Amino acid sequence: MDAAVKLDRFLAGVERRAFRVAQLALRDRDDALDVVQGAMLRLARSYGGRSSEEWPALFFRILYNGIHDAQRRRAVRSRIFGLWPGGRTDGEDESDPLERIASRAPEPDRELMAAEAMRHLESALAELPARQRQAFVLRCLQGLDVAETAQAMECSEGSVKTHYFRALHALRGRLEEVW
Amino acid sequence: MIEKPRGPQDEAFERRARELFDASVDGLDAATRARLAAARHAAVSEAGSRRGATWRGWAPVAIAVSAALVAVIVWRAPGDAPSGTTGPAGAPALDALELVAAGEDLDLVAEDLEFYAWLDELSLEAVAAQGTTS
Repeated sequence: MDAAVKLDRFLAGVERRAFRVAQLALRDRDDALDVVQGAMLRLARSYGGRSSEEWPALFFRILYNGIHDAQRRRAVRSRIFGLWPGGRTDGEDESDPLERIASRAPEPDRELMAAEAMRHLESALAELPARQRQAFVLRCLQGLDVAETAQAMECSEGSVKTHYFRALHALRGRLEEVW
Repeated sequence: MIEKPRGPQDEAFERRARELFDASVDGLDAATRARLAAARHAAVSEAGSRRGATWRGWAPVAIAVSAALVAVIVWRAPGDAPSGTTGPAGAPALDALELVAAGEDLDLVAEDLEFYAWLDELSLEAVAAQGTTS
């Protein structure tokens, strides 16, 4: 199969989940889209010639590097705006008010409950230490195996297991009552 | 490290988290999906153009190396040949190159060489015979 077709299929299969992973970490749609776009370009430019079996771990490693860069930029921006009188703080809701109205449109009960449960999961994930969150998202939500997760996180498989175990139990402790 | 065993409650929790995440992925709005698809097309076409650019970038180097290799073969070959077996300087090496390049039948060339060696022997014997008679 042509390499370009293979790459297109891989990215098509992973792009929406990658976007949600970035959105969970950054909690901002546009930042998440930028990070995913950057990760796709970087994979294509630097690793397009590699075996397609290596792509999942490489792609998520690039994605998380992009997420960390975006978080660093945001922290710097937040410090600068924090010094400005009346400057916007990081926790402020930046979404479009029209989108917020649209998101409150009536939904069937099950969908509404699932959306609510997902919001709880997002909040609980946001409270986890970064490495635990990363391990849980990659292993459980994204479905990478331990070796791939270790490659993506640039750590040992043992560390992945430890982070994952702690994340799982912290999340269960926080969510069992509300789920 | 051995992965800690997960109980049925852990597995149920993982399943629930995965289902919720999958549902949130499936529920992405059309505008986001379109932007992701556009980003993917840009990345794939970038990869294609870079592959072409890589080959184009190496082509002059490959041509230069090939030319240098041919020059070295042509320059070195007359000196390597045993003295007395070459004609005008450079001619045998060029002949050999032409033969290889033209894909001639090398068996015929080998037969010719045997024939010329035999002629040489004959002429040497004739010279020796003349020497003894005179």
